[in-house]
Amino acid sequence: MPTSGTSMEIGFNQHISGQFNSDLEAIRSQMMEMGGLVERQVASAIDAITTGDTSPADEIIRREDDVDKMEVQIDRECTQILVRRQPAASDLRMVLAVSRVVRDLERIGDEATKIAVHALEVNGNSSGYCQQSIRYMGVEIGKMISGALDAFARCDVDGALDVVRNDKLVDQQYSAALRELITYMMEDPRSITQAINILWILRAIERIGDHARNISEQVIYVVSGADVRHSSISEMEEKAHKEDDE
Amino acid sequence: MSIIENHKTDGQPFSENPKLKARDVRVFYGEKQAIFDVSLDIGANEVIALIGPSGCGKSTFLRCLNRMNDTIDICRIEGEILLDDENIYAPKMDVVPLRARVGMVFQKPNPFPKSIYDNVAYGPRIHGLVHHRDELDEVVEKSLQRAGLWNEVKDRLHAPGTGLSGGQQQRLCIARTIAVDPEVILMDEPCSALDPIATAKIEELIDELRENYTIAIVTHSMQQAARVSQRTAYFHLGQLIEVNPTDLVFTTPEHTLTEAYITGRFG
Amino acid sequence: MTDQSLSTRVKVERSMARRRRAETRFRLYGMASILFGLLCLVVLFGNILSKGLSAFEQTVLTTDIYLDKDFLGLSRQSPESELLNGDYEGLIKEYLKESMQPSGRSERRDLYSMVSVGAHWQLQQLVVNNPNLLGDTVTVELIMDDEIDQWLKHDHEKGRHGRLSEKQTEWAQQWLDEGRLKTRFNVSFFTNGDSREPELAGVHGAIMGTFLTLLVTFALSFPIGVAAAIYLEEFAPKNRITEIVEININNLAAVPSITFGLLGLAIFINIFGVARSTPLIGGLVLTLMTLPTIIISGRAAIKAVPPSIREAALGLGASRMQVVFHHVLPLALPGMLTGTIIGMAQALGETAPLLMIGMIAFVVDVPGFINDPATVLPVQIFLWSDSPEQAFTERTSGAIIVLLAFLVVMNTAAVMLRRRLERRW
Repeated sequence: MPTSGTSMEIGFNQHISGQFNSDLEAIRSQMMEMGGLVERQVASAIDAITTGDTSPADEIIRREDDVDKMEVQIDRECTQILVRRQPAASDLRMVLAVSRVVRDLERIGDEATKIAVHALEVNGNSSGYCQQSIRYMGVEIGKMISGALDAFARCDVDGALDVVRNDKLVDQQYSAALRELITYMMEDPRSITQAINILWILRAIERIGDHARNISEQVIYVVSGADVRHSSISEMEEKAHKEDDE
Repeated sequence: MSIIENHKTDGQPFSENPKLKARDVRVFYGEKQAIFDVSLDIGANEVIALIGPSGCGKSTFLRCLNRMNDTIDICRIEGEILLDDENIYAPKMDVVPLRARVGMVFQKPNPFPKSIYDNVAYGPRIHGLVHHRDELDEVVEKSLQRAGLWNEVKDRLHAPGTGLSGGQQQRLCIARTIAVDPEVILMDEPCSALDPIATAKIEELIDELRENYTIAIVTHSMQQAARVSQRTAYFHLGQLIEVNPTDLVFTTPEHTLTEAYITGRFG
Repeated sequence: MTDQSLSTRVKVERSMARRRRAETRFRLYGMASILFGLLCLVVLFGNILSKGLSAFEQTVLTTDIYLDKDFLGLSRQSPESELLNGDYEGLIKEYLKESMQPSGRSERRDLYSMVSVGAHWQLQQLVVNNPNLLGDTVTVELIMDDEIDQWLKHDHEKGRHGRLSEKQTEWAQQWLDEGRLKTRFNVSFFTNGDSREPELAGVHGAIMGTFLTLLVTFALSFPIGVAAAIYLEEFAPKNRITEIVEININNLAAVPSITFGLLGLAIFINIFGVARSTPLIGGLVLTLMTLPTIIISGRAAIKAVPPSIREAALGLGASRMQVVFHHVLPLALPGMLTGTIIGMAQALGETAPLLMIGMIAFVVDVPGFINDPATVLPVQIFLWSDSPEQAFTERTSGAIIVLLAFLVVMNTAAVMLRRRLERRW
């Protein structure tokens, strides 16, 4: 049986109840599986935008259903664990975190679908608005999602903090791209329809970054017990490392 | 699981408004040391839960608080336990009035083989708290009411206490304890022999009693500790590992041993 | 999987037969031992009852006898001292001589010996109680000698003479034919003390002696035993000394009882000068003997009180004394009583130590108090079993029946007392 990552720092890897161990392991691995799926959805969507090849878009919209089902499934298993095992401390945090992370993943999936839908709309007249930004942000959020999931798998607080920092960059890039779009629209009002589509795509990418950040915050919650939602980076670093001292 | 020599208790073992203060308490059974330098405050009107695996010394520590360990010949206690800043192990301290101030409820409901009335009246009688039958009646009624048992037994006060159900017996024992009007109530796994509904009633009662009494409860059920206590103390192999507010202990315990115990990784 | 579980089932079923056989066998052993015990009991009781029941009957001769004032030299106004000294024996002999017409001295002696030597006391008693009977003819049931008694009970129906001479048998047969010789309930067995004459010997003295002795034993051993048990169990520090005391108490229970007799003789009689042969000294010695039993059973009863009750009382702030007297003692008392009764029953049947302190003496008078000379039932049984007269054999068995009845009464009382005390839930 694989070693549970959260208990890495704890000297007691195994629960007395083996079933409890495998239950926890099951929701974690299913979450990772869902994470992988969502990651691929996002990557395909970004591809569709940047390459102008809209063929994966339909596939993305179809697989959106799978993501939703997985969210419901994992959430139900989390509820089961809460009811049957009354987990405490790190186990409790793990279950709560998984439940929150799957919600974020599902939202990411939604955003990916949105991107795919808009990709179909902009299809054909890829005028190249903000292509640079979209490509850059797409790469960044791809790294953020996989970074957040990796951090979760390894209970790596520093990795999680990196993701949070990256989110700042994505936000900055988003603001820059927004300004760029505004200039396009001011120059040529006919481009507004197209620009709005791009705007929606940028917005979706930015939201995905936020969700990846939320996932990273859950990593910190699982590992240190500190609730770092709605905190600044410096507060986060402080809280995340405070309880590593022991 | 390695034991930490001279472990300093994590968390907040001291209280701002302590009722009982234990300082460097060491307990020996013959040659064997059962408790290692435990320092802990029990605050006034708080419920503190003592948890830990079997044989961790939590019951032993609890029984030190009203000197129930005196009855064990080979048991030796060092350090101080102060009740309102008065050392209960001082030579001039008499255990009889001490136990009237620090009452105890045991694991197994143990009513006397007497009537319900006599069970509750026993404490006030031996301590001479009442002088007339009327007063005694009043004390008995009040105690049974506080223990939430009055409505169930008011028609059969002179029926044997041992004829009640397990949960009722335990509430009778609590009524018997509070009839003496103690300041502190010690409970040694009071629900371990009871069904969930009786347990829920006792837990509800503990919550109500907190207004007037200071309560220390030893429990094997972590859910129970989480439900009834304000602070939780975790004992491990005779050491007090961690004391913290209960919500912290059960979400983010400071010590890895506490974590391992409450998540069910040993114990 | 299925195969395996099936074979397990088959194995279990196979072993069941063996197990059932073993169980049946064991049950049979148990039943056999109980049957054996019952058989022994039946034989014992049968033997005792068959021999002893006749002791409760007595042969008497219904006689109309004229209380001759002149022969006795008494009048209705004579003082009691004179009434006591009248020649009643002569009167009976005179009556016999006239009614049966014996020829020669040896026949006369035979005739006279057929009536008990106690018979004239019957007349004496009659006259002393009511001097007005003098000069009248009274009907008395004269007690017959033990040999007539035995003849009537055992030999008559078989047509044997037994220990009677031919002439005596003839006379007895004549009385029998007249319907005057018969058996009646033997009151004197319960009202008389010991006697050399079997037909006059009774167990009253022994019963009183036993009763007084047990009274002394109980009065001393119960409080001392209970106090010792409580102290050892509840208060005594657990150290070398108490350990030695405990071991010695346990050893004392196994000491041969005659040793206690020796001890009583050496200490109570020789050093403290207590009178020998009295219920007091008997009670003292039996106290020594029963104390270990009572202490041991008392401690067991105290140990059986659930510690939770003790803890409950201590936790409420009861002192150790209060714990003991309010909670432990009431719960332990039934058990202690049982132990005491067992000890007392033991004491009731004890003979050996009493021999050492002189309770084997021949005591005719019924003791009135604990310092009167007395004997006790088992010693009485021992004495009678040693006597040569055949009639004493049945008295012996009769006394054993009385002793057993005593035991049954005591045990029943104990059970009832215990049940009454245990009723308090």
